[in-house]
Amino acid sequence: MARQSTRSTDSKKMNSELFTLTYGALVTQLCKDYENDEEVNKQLDKMGYNIGVRLIEDFLARSSVGRCQDFRETADVIAKVAFKMYLGITPSVTNWSPAGDEFSLILESNPLVDFVELPDNHSNLVYSNLLCGVLRGALEMVQMAVEVRFAQDTLRGDNVTEIRMKFIKRIEENLPAGDE
Amino acid sequence: MTVHNLYIFDRNGTCLHYSEWNRKKQAGISKEEEFKLMYGMLFSIRSFVSKMSPLDMKDGFVAYQTSRYKLHYYETPTGMKIIMNTDLGVPSCRDVLHQIYSTLYVEYIVRNPLCVLGEPLQSELFTSRLDSFVRALPFFSVRAA
Amino acid sequence: MAIFSVYVVNKAGGLIYQYDNYVPRAEAEKTFSFPLDLVLKVHDEKVVVSFGQRDGIRVGHAVLSINGVDVNGRQTAEGKDIVEYLKEPSNYPVSIRFGRARLSSNEKLMLASMFHSLFAIGSQLSPEVGSSGIEMLETDAFKLHCFQTLTGIKFIVLADPRQSGIDGLLRKIYEIYSDFALKNPFYSLEMPIRCELFDQNLKSSLEIAEKAGTFGPGS
Repeated sequence: MARQSTRSTDSKKMNSELFTLTYGALVTQLCKDYENDEEVNKQLDKMGYNIGVRLIEDFLARSSVGRCQDFRETADVIAKVAFKMYLGITPSVTNWSPAGDEFSLILESNPLVDFVELPDNHSNLVYSNLLCGVLRGALEMVQMAVEVRFAQDTLRGDNVTEIRMKFIKRIEENLPAGDE
Repeated sequence: MTVHNLYIFDRNGTCLHYSEWNRKKQAGISKEEEFKLMYGMLFSIRSFVSKMSPLDMKDGFVAYQTSRYKLHYYETPTGMKIIMNTDLGVPSCRDVLHQIYSTLYVEYIVRNPLCVLGEPLQSELFTSRLDSFVRALPFFSVRAA
Repeated sequence: MAIFSVYVVNKAGGLIYQYDNYVPRAEAEKTFSFPLDLVLKVHDEKVVVSFGQRDGIRVGHAVLSINGVDVNGRQTAEGKDIVEYLKEPSNYPVSIRFGRARLSSNEKLMLASMFHSLFAIGSQLSPEVGSSGIEMLETDAFKLHCFQTLTGIKFIVLADPRQSGIDGLLRKIYEIYSDFALKNPFYSLEMPIRCELFDQNLKSSLEIAEKAGTFGPGS
């Protein structure tokens, strides 16, 4: 256990290409292990979810962000703080629904897909679906149920990468009593 | 000045960790019952405070004191609660409790993939780090060593 | 500086006196078009904002009036369910006033007895020998100060966190209680206090305390 004690919290010590390659190896292995793309998408989402429920604690510890009381605030924090912190990019927040419960994150670039060309036989694969799971898991831990999906993806020939997020509800049973 | 004890609860009320330093009196019930009572009391205080407040609150409940001790309370947006009891001379401990969360809990528990979240903490590393962190606090001094 | 309210609780945890001295106004009115961009929920028979805050409307605020007419709990003045009413596009545009919900006298009774138990648990969980119950409870919006007499009566004052001189005020209220409630032959012990003189003296002592209280260290 002692070796752990020497680790630092420096976030910039890992080569990002190694990370991209690791993610690529993971996705291709999943493609081998599962029959169809939908199943792979589901697995990626599940893994992302498990990352998200832990990552949120790290996020809260490192940033001084408090509880969001408005979905617009949540969108801002995700785009400007969280994406910046973990992926080094700042997506833009657009396409708000009239009720203010749905918006899009437009990613100019996506570090996960740096070297990726999607083969024709994987037309239904949502390569970066892990991100959806991360967002869903992290927000669930702060009592927000959301639906996250890729609406556009440069990998599939779209001009931009668009992640669509929809607010479903506050998870009241997890909300500590007396919480405003 | 001194630190008496420290409780960490998760969002579901499970006591993840408990340590004590200069505790002179036990509650006279088993530890499990004590944790339940403590969590229940905090639960009620939060609900009490949010109803009672004449103004909108930001952090809500932060501390209470009796004639003999002061309870400091810190809660993260994920619902984790850290409670530290000290004597009356200790000033606000929000920063200290936030540090326990960010530099100890997140560092040694959340980031360790082998630690199962939501179960009492088993990590010896965490326990010993926490112990030295608390002992190094400026207001920690053993009166009757 | 402000003293918000005073509570007196008897030995058994019953509220025998309550007075709101200063109630800050935290309200906002806004005209909405369909769909409503706030998430509402029903909580304690009121419709409150659970998510979404802007233009002075905050999470935790309750719907106080719709189109200028005060609502009645979770129903509009005409007896329609508010949540259903606001789902109907034909009712828009609609003007809604939001604000912190006032405590009903029933809620005050409940809160007083709740504090009575919290006070006792605070003493039981003490890591030190011979501790009292909760004497001061601190939040970022207010401080609650409690003084329990040897006979078990609790005097509770809610004040601005920066208000000083509360300890003196609590003892003054105790004096007023013994002078104008206890010594009044028609006052029966442990029962609600309804004495004109008690009211008057309490109000003037609150005024004095508010004026004397400065931005000094918390009392």
